[in-house]
Amino acid sequence: MSVAVFDFLLDGEPRKISVEIRDGILIAREGGHVLEAEVRRISGSELQFRFGGRSIRIHLVRDGERTFVSVDGRAFVISESRPETGRYGEGDEKTAETNLRIKSPMPGKVTKIAVVEGEEVRRNQTLVIVEAMKMENEIKTAIDGVVKKIHVAVGDLVDSERPLIEVEKK
Amino acid sequence: MFGKVLIANRGEIAVRVIRACREMGIGSVAVYSEADAASLHVRLADEAVPIGPPPAVESYLNMERILAAARATGAEAIHPGYGFLAENAEFARLCETSGVVFIGPNSAALELVGDKVRARQTMEKAGVPTIPGMKSVSSSPDEFRTAARALGYPVMVKASAGGGGKGMRVVCDESGLIPALESGMREAKSAFGDDSVYLEKCIEEPRHVEFQVLADNRGRTVHLFERECSIQRRHQKILEESPSPALDPELRARMGETAVRAMRAAGYNNAGTVEFLLDRDRRFYFLEVNARIQVEHPVTELVAGVDLVRQQILIASGADLSLRQEDLRQRGHAVECRIYAEDPKTNFLPSAGRIALLREPKGPGVRYDSGVYEGFEVPVFYDPILAKLIVWAEDRETACRRMSAALDDCVILGIHTTAGFLKDVVNHPEFRAGRATTSFIGKFFPSWGTGEGEEDGRRLALAAAAFEALAPTVGPESLSGRGGGKKDVATPWTTLGRWRAGGET
Repeated sequence: MSVAVFDFLLDGEPRKISVEIRDGILIAREGGHVLEAEVRRISGSELQFRFGGRSIRIHLVRDGERTFVSVDGRAFVISESRPETGRYGEGDEKTAETNLRIKSPMPGKVTKIAVVEGEEVRRNQTLVIVEAMKMENEIKTAIDGVVKKIHVAVGDLVDSERPLIEVEKK
Repeated sequence: MFGKVLIANRGEIAVRVIRACREMGIGSVAVYSEADAASLHVRLADEAVPIGPPPAVESYLNMERILAAARATGAEAIHPGYGFLAENAEFARLCETSGVVFIGPNSAALELVGDKVRARQTMEKAGVPTIPGMKSVSSSPDEFRTAARALGYPVMVKASAGGGGKGMRVVCDESGLIPALESGMREAKSAFGDDSVYLEKCIEEPRHVEFQVLADNRGRTVHLFERECSIQRRHQKILEESPSPALDPELRARMGETAVRAMRAAGYNNAGTVEFLLDRDRRFYFLEVNARIQVEHPVTELVAGVDLVRQQILIASGADLSLRQEDLRQRGHAVECRIYAEDPKTNFLPSAGRIALLREPKGPGVRYDSGVYEGFEVPVFYDPILAKLIVWAEDRETACRRMSAALDDCVILGIHTTAGFLKDVVNHPEFRAGRATTSFIGKFFPSWGTGEGEEDGRRLALAAAAFEALAPTVGPESLSGRGGGKKDVATPWTTLGRWRAGGET
């Protein structure tokens, strides 16, 4: 039978895997690693893998384009691979080649803004503190630059989509 | 006994108290914020009363609304759980004056032990060893600077109303003092509505060992042995066990006796915990009293064979303590892991969202106290605790193995949780050897997510995702039973992954 090749992102990391199903056995290859396992579907969200005298139950559920997979208590997020334009901080966007638009990595409430517009900032300097689930999280800049625009105020509820601050590279 | 109890809390502890009420034939009243209308505690309670908007200050910390809910439903007592109003003496007093029983210590004892500075003074007088520190709170940077120099760095910023590590900061030198004070005060204000902080000498690499105490309203007081809670992140406990691998019977007896003396000195009643730091030379220091039921109470329940929440309700109703110190025994070993909605791979950022899939671990000696369910949307407003996994076994090694296996069966998908990280903690040789101190996580897990042992799991996850993409419609029979999955390899491929057929064989 034919071989299918998948380009996945596993927790953000590109991984290529090829699989085939032959005589009821799933053969998966990744780099030099080969897994041959008998796979049984227990339910819509549960698979059983049997190989090398072991049995492992794997749970998985799809949410939009992401698939969440649990293997032995560890959870992974797998999605379709897309070409990326390089990574800065968590979820930050480069607006232009030189600027950084900083977002909150999680929904929460702004409790402190540590800089003002026009201020020079250094890499890893704390810009904003966002509180979520009663914990303070310091949002830092990944580049040296100047604070170009502050989009939020103390007390604002923010999600992980809206930019908090824009930093212009020096 | 009460006919009806209101639970002024949410999440797993509210569920825990509701269950105890049900077993005792007591009606339960849940209260909930707008963010919690679909929460598990609301679903399980006999009655549920909305008490305001999502932020805790407008709902779970709103004393008037909670008391109004108790009056409206005819609840005779309020169980505060942990956090929120649990250690708020003003609330306990309001309950007392409005004729509602506060299931916890009397307001005078609560006020005393809740004020960390006064508590220290009381303990010193009672001959309980304490950590050197400031004798009073302050708001003057100069006073803090002088005090820190006198104590000698490193020092610890602590919230006077504190608990759970909120507002706590370690300061290694003077340059870090003011930022640590500011951030500690801000966090204390938001967590407790009180921003007073003070300084203490920082004991390096201590163990955190605490003793569970029960005292009835007539002053009969017993301890139910220790819990070792040295595994902490940001001063927040994440794994607890009983007995502590660091104690021998002689030290245990001495610390237990000290804990009982401490609670008597404070005029304490109901359930409470005396926290100690134990240094490398097996000297112990009084840290604080946690005047509430604690997150980690189940490990004590399992080794001592006592239902602590039931005891709390019995004591609050005026019953005499039926337990006698000489009858109490520690049997076997219990370990608890706190499952938090946090992503260990991104330095434990909170992870709110919808739980897409949930499977609870089961089996002999396995207990799972949960506040969530499949389909539940975890709100951003509250503590990230989702559930607690507790195991009991005959000895420590067996309990650790049981915990590791139970964590394998702990499935929460759709949000990030700490389950996988906790499994690495439980299986770490240093922890297994019983040598972990409060520095354990910082020392052995400065970051997490790239562990060697995880690679097999990653490959299996990829293989499972590929299988799912190839054969999402395969029924409950195994592939072998259907003579191969060729027919099932159809259009759904494109929904996951870029693929091509052919190529390598």
